[in-house]
Amino acid sequence: MHEMANKSNLKSIRYLMGMVTIALTACSTSIWVEADFPQPLVDRLPVRMGLILDDELLDYVHYEELPRQAAYTIQIGEANELMLGQLFQSMFLNVEEFYEFPNIQPEMEDIDGILWPVLDRFEFDVPVGQRDEFVEVWMQYLIRLYDPDGQLVTEWTVSGYGKAELLNREQALNRATVVAMREVGATISTKFSDQPDVQDWLQDRQISTVLSVGGIPQ
Amino acid sequence: MINLNFYNTSLTSLLVSLAFISGCGVTSRIEPYKQSQVVVGDGEGVVVLARKHHASHEAEQRIVDCISEGLSNGDEGLNVHNSGAFEDKLYPWFEPSMAPITPTDLSQLLEKENVREEVISTGVRFLIWLDGSTDRIASGGGISCAAGVSGAGCLGLGWWEDDSRYDATVWDINDASSAGTIHADVNGRSVMPALVIPIPLIARPQAAACRGLTQQLKEFLTSPNYGNGPNLSSQ
Repeated sequence: MHEMANKSNLKSIRYLMGMVTIALTACSTSIWVEADFPQPLVDRLPVRMGLILDDELLDYVHYEELPRQAAYTIQIGEANELMLGQLFQSMFLNVEEFYEFPNIQPEMEDIDGILWPVLDRFEFDVPVGQRDEFVEVWMQYLIRLYDPDGQLVTEWTVSGYGKAELLNREQALNRATVVAMREVGATISTKFSDQPDVQDWLQDRQISTVLSVGGIPQ
Repeated sequence: MINLNFYNTSLTSLLVSLAFISGCGVTSRIEPYKQSQVVVGDGEGVVVLARKHHASHEAEQRIVDCISEGLSNGDEGLNVHNSGAFEDKLYPWFEPSMAPITPTDLSQLLEKENVREEVISTGVRFLIWLDGSTDRIASGGGISCAAGVSGAGCLGLGWWEDDSRYDATVWDINDASSAGTIHADVNGRSVMPALVIPIPLIARPQAAACRGLTQQLKEFLTSPNYGNGPNLSSQ
């Protein structure tokens, strides 16, 4: 209950911080990326994961002044939480969320691994000329997979590209960002288990699961 | 003397404008090709999806919506599934980087049990892939405006030409095959003569392409023997 109240307070603080940032940058273009992200239609992997969504990811704001244009402030934190939380919940048997790397306690021994996604780069282009019709967004996430003891298993770079017709700048930038995030989600949900290090790690998890119930892998 | 010069200039502009106006309009070419005799059955639906994997262009959402609406309207309206809802239900398999490019890709995708079940639950039998875009291919002329104590006015002529080229490729989900393609090429020249007040005479090739493709797709999906050569017209 106490944890839920803390989570709710943190959300309120993040929301207020976002509103203050938008108010301070009222002369520039401010966008709060909004979307409903669908659950991926993929088979769940038979592992139980911890997921770290830290403050850097949840409060992510991109600020950039484009030449001959306004300054842009793009709030991506809430969209990060929505997209990544729902994505990983659909990919694994069970997912427990954390705000920082957890100290593994005896009661948390049912966690097979920990995922720590980081939004590494965000780039965008809003055209000035009449001939350019699309707003473009490019995003790069780092997906870090750790063993429960804190040892890094692999770091996987995932990028996504999105574009949207330039009818209204704010809406087009929002749409292009959402398209790029959906592309990132598509790559993670369909290619995660194909990564060589992840394949080895998954095989180890399955062997240890079989051993823990008394069987011997063939 | 000044008034006479202005009169002559205006008359010349008017004549040039009339010449351009008589040359403006929309020219369309629709080429249907159907390679099977399949038609949409009772309780079966269709969905119109934009091809988005090209770096340079993608079919605009407004023409996807226009064709979807056109197919579902009228006495013989088809059961059309919303394209965004279809992409969401089947996420991530119809995202730009993941969407099947060939019927073989679709066949492989439908081997996934959860994907096949979700497609069946939508009731969609035919996928209509819309590929292409509307682009400005030429423009010219010019309009000058001036304001003074006695009033304001514009003089001149501006024109531009847009080309809408789209391919609507129909895939039959039942046997993961291509049922055929309809190609539409619609060219529209717009003019804006200005004789004191600019009067825009705008040709809308994208709207014409939407109407043409919608009509042809309806026939394609309901008539087994549809598709005998190109259909040329100008308005």
